[in-house]
Amino acid sequence: MRLFEYQAKDIFKDYGIPVPKSILAHDVAAAGEAFRGLNHPAVLKAQVLAGGRGKAGGVVAVHDDGEARREASRIFGLSIGGEKPASILVEESYPHQSELYLSVTLDRGERSFVTIATAAGGVEVESLSGKVIRKVPLEGINESYAREVAGDLDLSEPSAGQFGAILLALERLSREKECELAEINPLAVGIDGNIIALDAKVIVDDNALFRHPEFAKLHPEDEFEGEASREGFAFVRLGGDIAVVGNGAGLVLSTLDLVGDAGGKPACFLDLGGGAQQDRIEAALRLVNKLPECNRILVNIYGGITRSTDVAQGILSVLASGPVKPIYARVSGADEEAAKAMLKDSNVNLYTTAPEAVQAVVKSR
Amino acid sequence: MILPKKGDPIIVQNITGRYGKIHTRMMLDYGTNIAAGATPGKGGQEVEGVPVYNSMAEAVDKSGAKYSVIFVPAEFTYAAAEEAFQAGIKLLVIITERIPIRDELKMLELARSHGASIVGPNCPGLIVPSQRVKLGIMPVTAFAPGKVALFSRSGTLMYEIADQITRAGFGQSVALGIGGDPINGLTAGECLDFVERMSETEAVVVVGEIGGDAEERLAKHVAKTANKKPVVAYIAGRHAPKEKKMGHAGAIIYGNFGTAESKIDALRSAGVRVAMTPSEVPSLVAQALKK
Repeated sequence: MRLFEYQAKDIFKDYGIPVPKSILAHDVAAAGEAFRGLNHPAVLKAQVLAGGRGKAGGVVAVHDDGEARREASRIFGLSIGGEKPASILVEESYPHQSELYLSVTLDRGERSFVTIATAAGGVEVESLSGKVIRKVPLEGINESYAREVAGDLDLSEPSAGQFGAILLALERLSREKECELAEINPLAVGIDGNIIALDAKVIVDDNALFRHPEFAKLHPEDEFEGEASREGFAFVRLGGDIAVVGNGAGLVLSTLDLVGDAGGKPACFLDLGGGAQQDRIEAALRLVNKLPECNRILVNIYGGITRSTDVAQGILSVLASGPVKPIYARVSGADEEAAKAMLKDSNVNLYTTAPEAVQAVVKSR
Repeated sequence: MILPKKGDPIIVQNITGRYGKIHTRMMLDYGTNIAAGATPGKGGQEVEGVPVYNSMAEAVDKSGAKYSVIFVPAEFTYAAAEEAFQAGIKLLVIITERIPIRDELKMLELARSHGASIVGPNCPGLIVPSQRVKLGIMPVTAFAPGKVALFSRSGTLMYEIADQITRAGFGQSVALGIGGDPINGLTAGECLDFVERMSETEAVVVVGEIGGDAEERLAKHVAKTANKKPVVAYIAGRHAPKEKKMGHAGAIIYGNFGTAESKIDALRSAGVRVAMTPSEVPSLVAQALKK
């Protein structure tokens, strides 16, 4: 789960990582008022989870009241990667001489958490050169580790000491809050050499949330994503018009590729989970049927342990309960023929292979 | 890693749970020797005729097992794995999904220090069709004895592709789930090294997906080791959006890291045949075997 910048900065403050003074605003008037309460100039920052916020015009410096309100109004009207900002962080700007990059993140290939630091931050981490990368032991780092990283960056005092303290705090935060990523980019070195975190990106390990009730209420969810997560489905809304439902993440991912290759646009990714049963199929079909942008449904079930007849029964009960968008289904498995017989008189289009079902659903428009 | 053979005793951890029970029945039906179960506080019972013990130490002592399959909920998997390694288990198959990353890293360290291996987590397990040995949850109808070693980050996609390999007449020497999490026990590279020494295996199929750099690492491994056995790969997620977890915790693209394109390019450069759809896999296997 990725946190908004303001949420991540609240945690930074708890851990003693310095951040600029800021106020969160939920509308234009509040943004104007926040601006008046801070030193000028200030920066307005759209609070979205999507990447590319700066390029999309979601971050801007403002110098007076009128400009603050005009720009806030513009930012609230933006769609950044399909996401409308629900709030703006109004933050005092921090004049600085240079920018560093610092993160504690999972290196999947090395099967270890690592510290990544460079003396040139501000841009995307992949394009950074001169990266210092060091493994982080599971039990955490110590002061000499932090000093060594500061030394690798050739920092002088007071920056070096402050950098070390920030790294220690960031690593402790990453470990205690079980983050996949805790990133400061940029970490600004002020004119006087004092260091401060201008941005904050924190991604918490979703699978560790049961140990962190403090994160349970941080996110306003899309209503469909909320319903899907309560049902225990893996669900991602994709914006197209063909809902894609299947059992198993890889199988659904592969089905999205078939749809995309055939020129179709998926409305969503919905993984029922491995042991898909009749009631699960029903719940999934009811959910995607409600998606306004969806106008047909593709079901791809590899029936192994899941019985095809259970799938058919699930489809039939949804059909019996009200109008359902056209369903194109591939249901394979040992009792495939029996499932086909059950659905023969319904208006469900049934196929033996995934490519056949995909061709049919894409061509149906 | 040593693969289990027909008759080797195997333990199921949390055999008394809903999934533990169902899959114990199915593993037994296939011919696998599930010799003991372990669930704290449930010792003395029997599940599907298999004796249940309170601890792994006791279950290992009574059964002599070196292999165990874990059906323990994510919150308790780390403790169950620790108990298994301390009791002497050498190959631990972890089916459980949604295990925290830091628990997985700790389990890997434990496995290393005990000279043991982990298959998974978040995987369907492993199956050796010629031995009728299954440590996992896969539907056995998709598999048949044969010459293709199949390794997959995804469960149902493994079954789908195994099924097509079986229908094409090749069958599998072994099929093993690498797992859908960012952190895995056995890697595709380690699996490849293993089957190089396995005479039954004539070709290898690797099923990957977006996220991480496991496939890029596999490509490097293939390029630098003189593998004699041809490798075919399929990568799911060419049309997946960025920054979204696609079902598996590990299936996520960050920026330009973890894309299907990067994986496909790396594998092709290393001489791996890459299928664009699951149904292309059998014909690429046939091509590879002709050479």
